[in-house]
Amino acid sequence: MDLSGIFGALLTIVGSPYHMSLLLLAVPIGMFFGAIPGLGGKLGVVLVIPFVFGMDATAGALFLIAMHAVVHTGGSVPSILFGVPGTGPDAATIVDGLPMTRKGEAGRALGAAFGASGFGGVIGGLFILALLPLLRPIVLQFSPAEFFLLALFGITLIAMLSGESLVKGLMVGFFGLMMAFVNLDPQTGTQRYTFDLLFLWDGIDIIAAVLGIFAIPEMIALGAAGGAMAKIDKATARHGRADVLRGIGDVFRHWRLSIRTSLIGAFIGMIPGLGGDAASWICYGHAVQSSKTPERFGKGAVEGVIAPETANNSKEGGSLLPTLFFAVPGSSGMAILLGAFVMLGIQPGPAIALAGMEIVWILIWGLMLANILAVIMFIIVAPALGYLSYVRGNLLIPFVLILTFLGAFLAVRAWENMVLLAALGTIGYFLKKYDWPRPPFVIGLILGPIAEDSYHKAMALWGPAFLLRPGALIMIGLIVLSIGFYVYRQVTNRNKSIWLSEDDH
Amino acid sequence: MRHVLIRSVALILLVACSQETTDDADFYHAKNISYIVATDPGGGFDAYARLIGKYLKKNLGADNVIIRNTPGAGHLIGAITLFRSKPDGLTIGTFNMGLIYGQIVGKPVHTFDLREFEWIGKASGEPRSIVVSNNCAIKNMEDLMAAEEPVKFGSAGLGSASFSDTMLLATALDLNVDVIPGFEGTEGEMSMMRGEICAILGSTSSFTQFIESGYGSLILTIGGNIDGIPNAMDFVETEQARRLVAIIETLAQLGRVTAAPPGTPKDRVESLRAAYKASLEDPDLVAEANRMARPIEPAYGEEVYQLVVSALDQTPEIVAMIKKAIDGAQ
Repeated sequence: MDLSGIFGALLTIVGSPYHMSLLLLAVPIGMFFGAIPGLGGKLGVVLVIPFVFGMDATAGALFLIAMHAVVHTGGSVPSILFGVPGTGPDAATIVDGLPMTRKGEAGRALGAAFGASGFGGVIGGLFILALLPLLRPIVLQFSPAEFFLLALFGITLIAMLSGESLVKGLMVGFFGLMMAFVNLDPQTGTQRYTFDLLFLWDGIDIIAAVLGIFAIPEMIALGAAGGAMAKIDKATARHGRADVLRGIGDVFRHWRLSIRTSLIGAFIGMIPGLGGDAASWICYGHAVQSSKTPERFGKGAVEGVIAPETANNSKEGGSLLPTLFFAVPGSSGMAILLGAFVMLGIQPGPAIALAGMEIVWILIWGLMLANILAVIMFIIVAPALGYLSYVRGNLLIPFVLILTFLGAFLAVRAWENMVLLAALGTIGYFLKKYDWPRPPFVIGLILGPIAEDSYHKAMALWGPAFLLRPGALIMIGLIVLSIGFYVYRQVTNRNKSIWLSEDDH
Repeated sequence: MRHVLIRSVALILLVACSQETTDDADFYHAKNISYIVATDPGGGFDAYARLIGKYLKKNLGADNVIIRNTPGAGHLIGAITLFRSKPDGLTIGTFNMGLIYGQIVGKPVHTFDLREFEWIGKASGEPRSIVVSNNCAIKNMEDLMAAEEPVKFGSAGLGSASFSDTMLLATALDLNVDVIPGFEGTEGEMSMMRGEICAILGSTSSFTQFIESGYGSLILTIGGNIDGIPNAMDFVETEQARRLVAIIETLAQLGRVTAAPPGTPKDRVESLRAAYKASLEDPDLVAEANRMARPIEPAYGEEVYQLVVSALDQTPEIVAMIKKAIDGAQ
């Protein structure tokens, strides 16, 4: 590896006040677009492209990548404080982030989210550096057959996310899968459960779904119960800088998990077509699965915040790889960046290595530096943000509801989406009230279309023999392991509880 | 006396008319115009709309041209949204003209008549090409025409322009192909790199990076001229085949169209057309488009309408052939 080139690029950024000030400007803009539900990073990049036009290629690309890199760092804030996900992939953070806020640990949860985002972003960058030589064979290994099985693997994680009742989890998961079939059938173009409503032709919008299933029930519950998001007395509350730092410390205390989920996120990001929503939920599922105390999840386990947030940011590093070297974008956000790079005069594709790797190193460093800068900026403002969790419900609810409905409207720019939001919100409220797990719904909704689409393609390409491809066999092995592990744990837990109850006598 | 009467009537008419024309000129002053784009932000349709919108704003004297992205269902959602918009001259939109196929074969989800739109203009052509992967045994048109095993083609979803183009060309040239739909965006390129599908028929400009990277090469063009690459019309043997290829050629000309909803007042359509023309002829716009690698080959109002009508006007025999080609796959 060309070490002088790699570190020369770092010096190009750090040594230039111009480049550093661009980073300082891009990071808050990116976080803002992440934090407001329905805006999202894609729109952010599209809106700033005209301003980047006049810059030289290095500066322009650095600005865009820095902005894009930290969108999900910002997106975690409303997830944790109000249960309103800023972006789709930040929804997984709610499951444990919101209970932490309720316990009065908003500061720690925010710290963990920022720390994890920064950590994931940096690991994602290092992942690119390490994997450059192996990129092509790995990416090309993933065909529709593996996509289908990876989606199935994700669906088996429903079991992990079901909490106490597997049956309830499966029912909610299948409800999510059913909702995934609302669209124009991708194979025949006929309407499926759309009732001739135009806004349903492209499927149930993920943003409206996560806002409805998570945000609305929280607000109803808060309104019904009164008080503030945090359920403990302000005097004993912890939202100071020390707590934020403690949250960041948690990321390193759980360093094995942090590294694993960062790598999984970067890996999923690297494979074009899977998307960020899948990455954060699969990592959340993995955190539950690998924990010795899975029963703590959903009730404010800090690992439940760390896992999806590391994945959210590391996947951007991963998806930069195919974007730059194949000119095949790893995500829809990257597709827009790709277009912007071309406008700036950077020609992605295998030729980029010939044209000089400097711009590649600069982008990788930019990605990592932006992530670190975002953490520093947030440490400064986090205590103030944490204070929001003590605002009285009747002051908070109208504001959050407006944000929620606005987010649902903005996501597809159709008023009908707000009706859908209200309907899903009602369902979500009853799920919450009667203690049914809500994450399986989102898993079904997100992974259903991936499974359907890739199944059709794999069948058209190879017929049922697609299950015998080497990659497919590995995925099948993972699925069997995942189910086997779950069964094993259920059985040992039952034995343990029998043993415990016998001990009581 | 009578003269005086006629004169005064004429004068009143004149004043009324001039009043009306100043109304028109001022109509867009300080108004907001919505520009519906049938895709997500980013991508070609969005880029053209944002670029043209900026100049339309200047040429119409409008306050703002607001881009409204209404993606989904292969541009149908955007097109229907535009079709149903209030025809007050303040809403225009852009979508993929592959929808013409849906109308020709009378798909149930195709609930509108493209002829009824008020056509403002088009910004560029989208010549089509067949690109074959380096992993594929097919190296040129002769190989493809002589293929004994079905050659795997990838395309976007079933209703898409790329799917219909491919099926139509296969019928016209009697190609032995197996079209696998569902490859959106660059998924088809990835699949070719993995050695799954062999070829894609799509817009030539979208293959530039793929070919420059050395992953594949062009073997045929439709509606464009590229040195050393044969044209689809060279392989046509019957009149029906010529007509089928001609439809693809017409669609290739109708790239990046802009239309207003049916029933938009004529004078406002004229203002929009004039502003659209002035925008696309503005050297600044052309220079910006060049920088973005977006070609500009404009056509305006009536001409675009005629192209749409000519693509839609097919004999029952041809319609049956198109139906068979597109629906036969289902």
